[in-house]
Amino acid sequence: MTAGEPLVRWDWVLSHLGDIQTRLAEHLVLTGLALLIGFGLSFALSLAIRRYPFLYEPVTWGTGVLYAIPSLALFALLVPFTGLSLLTAEIGLVSYTLLILIRNTVSGLRSVPPDVKEAAIGMGYSSGQLLWRVELPLALAVIVAGLRVAAVTTIGLTTVTALIGQGGLGFFILDGIQRFFSTPLIVGAVLSVALGVAADGALVLIQRWATPWARVGG
Amino acid sequence: MPPFAATRRAAYDPGFVPKTEYNGVAPPPACVTHSPDPGESVRYGASVEFRHVSKRFSSQSSGAAVEDLSLSVPPGAICVLVGPSGCGKTTTLKMVNRLVEPTDGQVLIDGEDVARFDVVALRRRIGYVIQHVGLFPHQTIADNVATVPRLLGWPRERIAHRVDELLDLVGLEPDQFRRRYPAQLSGGQRQRVGVARALAAEPPLMLMDEPFGAVDPIVRERLQDEFLRLQRRLGTTVLFVTHDIDEAIKLGDRVAVMQEGGHLAQYSPPAELLMHPANDYVARFVGGDRTLKRLALMRVADVPLEPPVAGLEPTCAPGATVREALSSLLATPAGRLLVVDDGAGRPLGTLTLAAIGSALRSIATASTPDRAEAPRRQTDGGAP
Repeated sequence: MTAGEPLVRWDWVLSHLGDIQTRLAEHLVLTGLALLIGFGLSFALSLAIRRYPFLYEPVTWGTGVLYAIPSLALFALLVPFTGLSLLTAEIGLVSYTLLILIRNTVSGLRSVPPDVKEAAIGMGYSSGQLLWRVELPLALAVIVAGLRVAAVTTIGLTTVTALIGQGGLGFFILDGIQRFFSTPLIVGAVLSVALGVAADGALVLIQRWATPWARVGG
Repeated sequence: MPPFAATRRAAYDPGFVPKTEYNGVAPPPACVTHSPDPGESVRYGASVEFRHVSKRFSSQSSGAAVEDLSLSVPPGAICVLVGPSGCGKTTTLKMVNRLVEPTDGQVLIDGEDVARFDVVALRRRIGYVIQHVGLFPHQTIADNVATVPRLLGWPRERIAHRVDELLDLVGLEPDQFRRRYPAQLSGGQRQRVGVARALAAEPPLMLMDEPFGAVDPIVRERLQDEFLRLQRRLGTTVLFVTHDIDEAIKLGDRVAVMQEGGHLAQYSPPAELLMHPANDYVARFVGGDRTLKRLALMRVADVPLEPPVAGLEPTCAPGATVREALSSLLATPAGRLLVVDDGAGRPLGTLTLAAIGSALRSIATASTPDRAEAPRRQTDGGAP
């Protein structure tokens, strides 16, 4: 950073509004895609675990290992195989959502009171009806809690994908670091945090809307 | 195959004469008959029979959960399975709706082996109430009650109508409760919703597993009374599990006392159980105060009263149980109670200790009344 330079040069910000918009959109797509695919995979795996509980240990172990790999290393390892591509970025981002989403979905399903399940089965719910009409609605709060953590971490992590040329807000951060220029770095970081807060808030609202029973007093 | 609709009639015990409305007419499937008036639906209970049923769980190293159980429940009767925990009573109950499959033997509903029914369809035709009720916390009371009608695909208006009817039936004001969530109800109210939900599709058979176990004694007593009234009105056959012998005696037309290892120790009407326990185990289980318990089964009107004595205080009603009357009698210095007509206040006679004693002795020597042979149906239905 050059001495005497202000931390944020607003004229840069104003002259790059179009750029900022593009990067923000890229960031949203990268994150949204990762969450969508991650949730889909986690949901399928959670249902498999619901059916075959012995799968829980190996699945959480495997996704735990994925979660533990440093992101930079993971991207570096993937590049020889999948190149500087969206696929590389998404493989990494999706991998990091799995552990949280599976753990929460499974514990959500397991938190459904046994008497509620017994009553449902005893009244003639089929296995599918039990899942969609009883277990999932009651697990929703825990599942959304997992989605919130996954969303916020993925939004942060997506800044790293700029390293493999996938744009997003990380582009500004990288740009700032390379040019010793604090303005884009701060713009990238602040917007990333703001996006995380907004996504978290949106998920809270969705959860409140989807679980009206949780709002009534006991 | 619709679960036990087609062959229900044929399976009834020959002693049972159906109500006049249905004489000579095959009873319509229970789930489509109900009149718009709450509680006025007149239907048949199903018969239930256990034939040499045993259940061994693989996890059990020694012995069976249920061992060679045979018993039959006539249509419209309340059969109470009672015993200490681990005696297999809940397992027995769950073998009826196939939450548990027997290792050996058969369970028959209206003469048909439940193993032959589609399990989901079978369960939709059997009401089921468990101790913790298991209401769906994410659904309103109306949606909870509508569970089985929805599964059966009833039209929307019919479901809404039925829900209101049922809430009325169990004493919950529909306008007030329809849209609430279970978390907003008291324990007793939740139990009522549980009963309403189980009754929703007019099942000919209800399974109740300690349904009143989790509420306080005062509410429990009221729920028991309401449940008895409801059952008599609807004629639903009920299998009821409890560990409380007093509840068993109060509610049961027949009581099955079970003991550890899933053995049936005795199966008889409650009065018989109290007067002639089959063995030491049953005698101990019903308790040393079984004569007092018998008094709870007798009404003051059953006792040969002495002529009324004017001005005697306190008084009691002829419909009161002898146990209640004895309690006040023992507390009064006169040692006698004036029995007074509930409505008119007309004196009917005087209750004394000696009269109660002779009533007990005469019933003990007379042929034992079998309440299950003449289930507690109302007499207004035209049965001879």
